Amino acid sequence: MDYDLPTGFDLIIVGTGVVESIISAAASRIGKRVLQVDTNNYYGGHWASFNLEDIQNLKQENNIDLGKQFPKNLSNEEDFIPLGNKLKCFPYFETEWHIAEEDSIDVLKIKQENLNGKENVVLDEGDKSKLDNDKKEHDDCADKEEDESVVQGEIEEAKEVEQNLNVSTQELLKKDYRKFVIDLCPKLHFARGNFVELLISSNIARYAEFRSVSRVLTWINGNIEVVPCSRSDVFANNKVSVVEKRMLMKLLTSIEEEEKSATVPQNTTFKDFLKNKKLSSNIIHFVLYALSMSNDETIWLEGMKRTKRFLGSLGRFGKTPFLFSMYGSGEITQAFCRLSAVFGGVFALNQQLHGIVLNKENRFESLKCGKQNITASHIVMSVGAAPVSFFKNPTSSLISRAVLITDKSLMDSEQEHMTLLLYPAGNKLITILELGHLTGTCPKNVFLIHITTEGSSNPKEDLEGCVKNLFAFGEQDSNPRKPKVLWSSYFSIPNTNELDLKSSVPSNVFLCPGPDLDLDYDFSLEKAREIFLSIYPDAEFLPRAPDADEIVIGEDPETATEVRASNSNLDISKDTEKSVEEERAIEQSSETELAIEARASCSELDTPSETDNTTKDALKEVEECAEAKENMQ
Amino acid sequence: MDEDILTTLKILIIGESGVGKSSILLRFIDDSFDPDQTLTIGVDFKTKRLCVEGNNVKLAIWDTAGQERFRTLTPSYYRDAQGAILVFDVSNHSTFSKLETWLNELDTYSTKSNIVKMIVANKIDKEKREVSREEAMNFARRHQTLYIEASAKTRDGVQAAFEELVHKIIQTPGLWESYGSNVQLGNKDHEKEPSSCSFCGLV
Ligand SMILES: Cc1cc2nc3c(=O)[nH]c(=O)nc-3n(C[C@H](O)[C@H](O)[C@H](O)COP(=O)(O)OP(=O)(O)OC[C@H]3O[C@@H](n4cnc5c(N)ncnc54)[C@H](O)[C@@H]3O)c2cc1C
Ligand SMILES: Nc1nc2c(ncn2[C@@H]2O[C@H](COP(=O)(O)OP(=O)(O)OP(=O)(O)O)[C@@H](O)[C@H]2O)c(=O)[nH]1
Ligand SMILES: [Mg+2]
Repeated sequence: MDYDLPTGFDLIIVGTGVVESIISAAASRIGKRVLQVDTNNYYGGHWASFNLEDIQNLKQENNIDLGKQFPKNLSNEEDFIPLGNKLKCFPYFETEWHIAEEDSIDVLKIKQENLNGKENVVLDEGDKSKLDNDKKEHDDCADKEEDESVVQGEIEEAKEVEQNLNVSTQELLKKDYRKFVIDLCPKLHFARGNFVELLISSNIARYAEFRSVSRVLTWINGNIEVVPCSRSDVFANNKVSVVEKRMLMKLLTSIEEEEKSATVPQNTTFKDFLKNKKLSSNIIHFVLYALSMSNDETIWLEGMKRTKRFLGSLGRFGKTPFLFSMYGSGEITQAFCRLSAVFGGVFALNQQLHGIVLNKENRFESLKCGKQNITASHIVMSVGAAPVSFFKNPTSSLISRAVLITDKSLMDSEQEHMTLLLYPAGNKLITILELGHLTGTCPKNVFLIHITTEGSSNPKEDLEGCVKNLFAFGEQDSNPRKPKVLWSSYFSIPNTNELDLKSSVPSNVFLCPGPDLDLDYDFSLEKAREIFLSIYPDAEFLPRAPDADEIVIGEDPETATEVRASNSNLDISKDTEKSVEEERAIEQSSETELAIEARASCSELDTPSETDNTTKDALKEVEECAEAKENMQ
Repeated sequence: MDEDILTTLKILIIGESGVGKSSILLRFIDDSFDPDQTLTIGVDFKTKRLCVEGNNVKLAIWDTAGQERFRTLTPSYYRDAQGAILVFDVSNHSTFSKLETWLNELDTYSTKSNIVKMIVANKIDKEKREVSREEAMNFARRHQTLYIEASAKTRDGVQAAFEELVHKIIQTPGLWESYGSNVQLGNKDHEKEPSSCSFCGLV
């Protein structure tokens, strides 16, 4: 019983990433008929979250060529442009276990191997394959990759097992696989940033819960230190001398004046700027890498701006300026999709998208989806879904990512923390998020680590130094304070925020950038707003959605009018060119929630004619939907 | 005003399109029924207070917003729900056969392992009946869910369905107590006094 999708939309959205979903919500919210489709059977695209099992399957899925996701098997006469390009893929993806697979029987087996293997660790190629064969004979669960690192890893596991018999096993973690929510692209929110303000003003915040990041750490002189985020932090910090404390307080409390009075050349780096202030190297480190999250090359005005952003978001929710969405960043896209659905948006995942048809004027006309040809006035698509011909140069820089599961916190304490660690590495800054079970993203007793940085070649190489400094693999590291890595994944994601997404694209087609390196969603939000306003120049972007309590089923006419009024900040008066149909659609938006139920009390409606009319219009809309439903069956 | 509320419970209503999910909700919230109830769009969730054995609870009852039609409800829809009402239409056997899929769906996405499930056999007022009480009850027993027969049209069983569900939830230890300390944006109580904890208010 496959349903056909309705057709004849105002807006089709291909992809369910953050930018696409924000646009979807905004368009549905003003009454546009929106269809949002995805080739994946999950939400989020490169912004998705997975449990521990699904992320390991993703590895295989990624090897499937694009031809399957975007099949091109329609007849050649069809004049359509195939969808999909390599930006949809992960250029690199691997996952690896670093602990024993099962119970103590396996552990014994590994011990056995360990005895065989100890002397063999540094043998040449030939001996290694001998070892591998050896291992196969012993090991009936030999579905592991057989490269040297695995052998090496197992030997170390075995050593570790000897010392500590209740070490976790894969089996234990796999049992809890669903308790993991692993973000491909984890993001934080500045407590007073544009994104948080939008979540509140649009009332989308009701679909999500947040936790405040409880501490900011940084890597300095080979150690992890707490970055002071408040006066008490500053004074509690025994690594900072009294003089330095004064210097820091002075800088931070007078940053506005500093900016105005400073007389330095435009291209001075923030680092040099701070050095000129005669600040100590500790203070420079805190401000440069942690508070402003800059690198050695950031110019000073940008650095000042970022410092102010950090300071400006302090003191609203928690001890630090940051919030994290409970259950992971994937919740954010889903919240926007839910709002879109609540306002009539139609969603279909797991769709076969063949291509789009352009008309003679090179404008988008329809989308070939499965056997259907779905028309719409505009189409928005994720950058990875776009036809290759839409790019001048479809190459992008990369985001290097690592995800680790560890056995303890980077910095233990009695209470569980949610930690942001800023790790400067030359002209790059590596950001590390440590999530405990209170964030709803992993089970008790383990931590989920997200590492992100600008990619150069291979995420493993990009992050190796940092990972080795902070974490231990088996016993090779003698420092008992380091968290042990139980599982790891390395992957890279295209960073598309500097691609030209406009010049080769038809005028009613809009491309959405994927994830970027920013800590927050501000860039994505701005892109979404920009695209929305290009399509609907006079519409309001995500006005406040009514509360659930305001939408009462079986509305009586009085409250009906009330809700309408509270909702009437849709200013359509300016737009004189709008067609009657579009206007009706906009009116409907503020009525949707009433309209559905208005039927119940329709006959008793004794309201001013204006309400009556809009309600009727809305009802018409609902009837059309009902027809669509019949057609579907 | 909310002080006497013991807790707020999130309840989902799921099931195939057209089985009467929205009608049950409408009956429960507003005690009304609309024979011409159409395809649901624009309904998010409804709240209602309920008093069960002297405990005041607030129910937030989530409708599917039409997202079930193409099987694209988001995992976050299921998130943190304490109870689920699985509706089928006794006059349409295929809606009953799909319950298995919906139970799987719940198992996959619900974040509370002990979520209380109730199967509601709806539209029992109809003469033509394709699913017998016995067949449905066996199914419910096998899947360890509550079971009730109801009609959104005649109001039979509707109130009782919600009351029993809430009763069971409250009896289930660890299911409804909240963790606290999460931030709900837009909730002023969750914001700090300005400057209590920042550099800015120092000088
Ligand atoms: C409510 C809901 C929410 C979902 N949300 C997500 C999600 O967020 N992310 C994700 O990755 N996957 C989600 N899924 C699962 C995903 O939509 C399905 O697995 C996918 O559509 C199956 O496609 P298929 O082509 O394999 O099977 P289909 O051809 O779609 O289905 C095979 C048969 O099973 C029926 N069927 C399949 N699933 C269901 C169901 N759940 N209820 C009723 N009948 C069903 C179909 O009608 C059909 O007869 C969700 C499914 C449901 C029902
Ligand atoms: N006879 C009878 N009809 C009912 C009953 N409950 C619902 N209906 C009718 O069944 C149809 C579908 O009901 P809805 O409440 O819209 O069903 P739904 O599950 O919300 O459907 P979607 O929103 O499309 O998923 C409507 O025409 C209702 O009037 C009932 O108990 N008895
Ligand atoms: Mg409904």
